[in-house]
Amino acid sequence: MGLRELFEKDVQELENEGILFSTLRKLVSWGRSNSLWPATFGLACCAIEMMQSTNSRNDLARFGSEVFRASPRQADLMIVAGRLSKKMAPVMRRVYEQMPDPKWVISMGACASSGGMFNNYAIVQNVDSVVPVDIFVPGCPPRPEALVYAVMQLQKKVRGEVFDDKGLALPMVEGWKR
Amino acid sequence: MSKLKVAPGPAGKAEFETKLLRINVGPQHPSTHGVLRLVVDLDGEVIKRLSPQIGYLHTGFEKTMEHRTYQQGVTYSNRMDYLHGFAHDLAYVLAVEKLLGAQVPERAERIRVILTELNRIASHLMFFGTGILDMGALTPFFYTMRERERILDLFELVCGVRMNYGYFRVGGLAYDLPEEFIPATRALIAEFPAMLKQYEALFAKNDIFLSRTQGVGVISKETALAYSLTGSSLRASGVPLDHRQANPYSGYQDYDFAVPTATSGDVYARFMVRFKEMSESLKIVEQALDRLTPGPIQDPNRRISLPPRQELETSMEAVIFHFKLVTEGFHPPRGEVYVPTESARGELGYYLVSDGGSMPYRVKVRAPSLANLQALEPACLDGLFADMVMNIASLDPVLGDVDK
Amino acid sequence: MSAVALIQALGGKLTDQPQGYPAVALNPSQLPDAAKLAKEYGFVIMDVFGLDWLTYPGHRGKRFTVSYNLYHLETNSRLFLRVALDDGESVPSVTSVWPGANFLEREVYDMFGITFSGHPDLRKLLTPDELDGHPLRKDFPLGETPTLFNEGRFLDPAAFRAGLTGQDTGLTGFRGGARKGVKSGE
Repeated sequence: MGLRELFEKDVQELENEGILFSTLRKLVSWGRSNSLWPATFGLACCAIEMMQSTNSRNDLARFGSEVFRASPRQADLMIVAGRLSKKMAPVMRRVYEQMPDPKWVISMGACASSGGMFNNYAIVQNVDSVVPVDIFVPGCPPRPEALVYAVMQLQKKVRGEVFDDKGLALPMVEGWKR
Repeated sequence: MSKLKVAPGPAGKAEFETKLLRINVGPQHPSTHGVLRLVVDLDGEVIKRLSPQIGYLHTGFEKTMEHRTYQQGVTYSNRMDYLHGFAHDLAYVLAVEKLLGAQVPERAERIRVILTELNRIASHLMFFGTGILDMGALTPFFYTMRERERILDLFELVCGVRMNYGYFRVGGLAYDLPEEFIPATRALIAEFPAMLKQYEALFAKNDIFLSRTQGVGVISKETALAYSLTGSSLRASGVPLDHRQANPYSGYQDYDFAVPTATSGDVYARFMVRFKEMSESLKIVEQALDRLTPGPIQDPNRRISLPPRQELETSMEAVIFHFKLVTEGFHPPRGEVYVPTESARGELGYYLVSDGGSMPYRVKVRAPSLANLQALEPACLDGLFADMVMNIASLDPVLGDVDK
Repeated sequence: MSAVALIQALGGKLTDQPQGYPAVALNPSQLPDAAKLAKEYGFVIMDVFGLDWLTYPGHRGKRFTVSYNLYHLETNSRLFLRVALDDGESVPSVTSVWPGANFLEREVYDMFGITFSGHPDLRKLLTPDELDGHPLRKDFPLGETPTLFNEGRFLDPAAFRAGLTGQDTGLTGFRGGARKGVKSGE
C-alpha cells in the first residue's frame, strides 16, 4: 500500500493489516519487561522457594526469566532471596555493581525486606540500605506464586504502567539514573 | 608446582615451571549450594589445597534464641536447616521436653515421625535435583521437583505453609491433622515407588553420571571418623551409624526399616545411599500411618500446653494458664540436656542450658553440616577442580546449618 | 576399666550435667591426655562448644566451660568432657587427636574468645572481620537496631520484648503495659 493510505486509514484498520504504532521507549521497555533475566542470588530459605518458582508447576520462564544467569554481567534482575548477613553485604554490593544497566532488584522475603525475625548483630535490617530495591515481597518464605506476582509487578513498573493512590501515572523506571 | 617437559622453545629451554594458582570460588556461585566461599590452590586442574571460608550466612541464631521463650524457639529452629526443617524442630522440641519431663502422647509422636520422614524424602529429592544439576543435567531437576511439590502440598494441608513450619509445640503438636491428609499421603505412598524407578532410569545407568561419580572424592572410613562426618556420607564410607536406630527417640524403635550403607566412600556411594534412604523413609511413613490411632495430641499438663479454645469460655483457670503461657512461657527446671537425633545431614542435637527462667540460657546446635564440611578438604585433595563441585554436592551441606 | 573410670584416674571429677550422660570435669592441663585416651578407646569427637556462666544465677566457679561431646560407635555411648576456665585462660587444642575439631574450636574462639593453644589456624570463623568482640558472651549485646523505611518510619523491636524480659526498653522506653517480664531467679 502507498504512503497515502498510511495517512488516510484509521489506526484500527492499520492494526488489522499488521502495522503497529508505538514509541521507541515503549517498545524497548516492552522488550525489557518480557525478558528479565535474574542473577542467582539465593541466600537462605527463600532461595529454595525461588528455585521452586522455576519448576514445572510455577514456571517463571513463561514470564521471560528463561535462565538464571550465574554471572551478574549477563543478568538484569537481582532477586535477593534470604537473610543478608553483614559479612555478605559488601559481596552483594559488588555483585550489584557488576550488573550492567538497566537493572532492577526484588527483595524477596521478610528477612531481606526488613530483617525479618532476626534483629541482631549479624543481619542487615533492610536490603534497601545496600542496593536500591524496586519490589518488596513479604512472606517467610513467600510462596512461588508470590514471587511470580512480584515479577509481574516489576514488569508493569518497567513498562511504566504503575499508578499511585491518586491515579497519577508513575514515571517509567530508568534504572541507569539511580 | 610441577615441571612439564615440552619441546624446546626459542629460549632453548625444555622444561616449563608452573606455580600454584590461588582462586576464589564464591560466595555467590551457582554450584556451591549456598553462600560458601572456597579458596583453592590449583596446580593445573589438580587441587592442592582447599580452604572453606564460611560465615556469609551467619544469623546469630543461638544468641537470638536466648532472648525468646522456649515456645518461640520453634520458629527459629527450622530456619537453620531449611531443607529438613522438621528435623530441627523435632530435635529442639525433644530437648525441651526432656528438660521439662513432659509426656508426649503417642498420636503426636507418630505424626511427628510421619512429617519428619516426609521432609527427609523432600530433602533428598532436592539433593538429587541440584546434585545432578551441578553435573549439567537439567531434566532430573524438574522430575524431582515434581515429587517434592506433592510432598510440600501435604505439608500445606497440615501446617498451612510449604516451608518453615510452625507446627510442632513443646508437649505435642499445635492442632490435629485434617481429614484429607491420610488419603493424600496414602496416594503418594502408592505412587512414589514408580517415580523412584523413573529416577533410577534417568540417571543410575547413565555413562556420564557413572564416570563423574564413581571413584571420585573417596573418603575412607578412618578419614570420615577423624573429621567427625555423620549422616548419609558416613554411611557411604562404611560406618552403619544411624541415630534413629542407635539411640531411638520419638518411637522409632517401633518401626522396621533398614539403614543402607556402602563401602566405597565415593560420590556414587553417597548418591546411592540417599537414594535407598528415600524408600526406607517411605516404609516408616507407611508403618506410622498404619499405627495412627485417635487420641490427644498435646501433653495434658496445663503448665506446658495451651488449653483448648472451648475451655476458655467456661473455666477461669484455663484463662489464667493461657495468659501465663502466652505472655511469660513455662519455666523448665535448672539443668542441661542433650538429645541426639538424625537429620538428613547427620547427627543433629540441641544442647539446652536452662536457668529456671522462661527463656533458655544457652542453646547450642550441634549442626551436622559444619562438621561435614570439614571432610571436603580430604575428599577434594589431589582431585580435579570439576570434581570439587560434585564433592560439595554429595556432602549435601546446607549453609544455614553451617553458619547458624 | 571403662573410659570414664580411666579419665577419672587422670584427675577428672564426675559431674551430673547434662542429664543422662556421663560428664567428667577436667583442668585444661589434663585435657590432652584425656583426649588421647578417649581416642584410643574409640571415641569420636562430635562437638566442641562453650558456655558462659556470667549471668547464671547461683553460679560459683570459673566463667567459661568448654565442653567436648564424644561418641563411641561400637557401644553407642556418649561422654562429655568439661573444662572450666576464666577469661584469658587458654585450652590446649585437640586437633592433633581429632582433625574434625578444627572448625569447632574456631567457632568457640569466634563466639567466646577462648584461645586454643596448638590450633593450626585459629581465627574468626563465622562473624565478619569488622565485628570486634565475641558475640555469644553474655556481656555482648544482642545488637537490635531499628529498621529504617524509606518514609522515615521505624519499628522499635525492643519495646515488644521489653514486656517479656524486663530489660532494655529500647529507643522509645515503652515497656508493653502490664507485662513487666520475668527474669530468671525471681
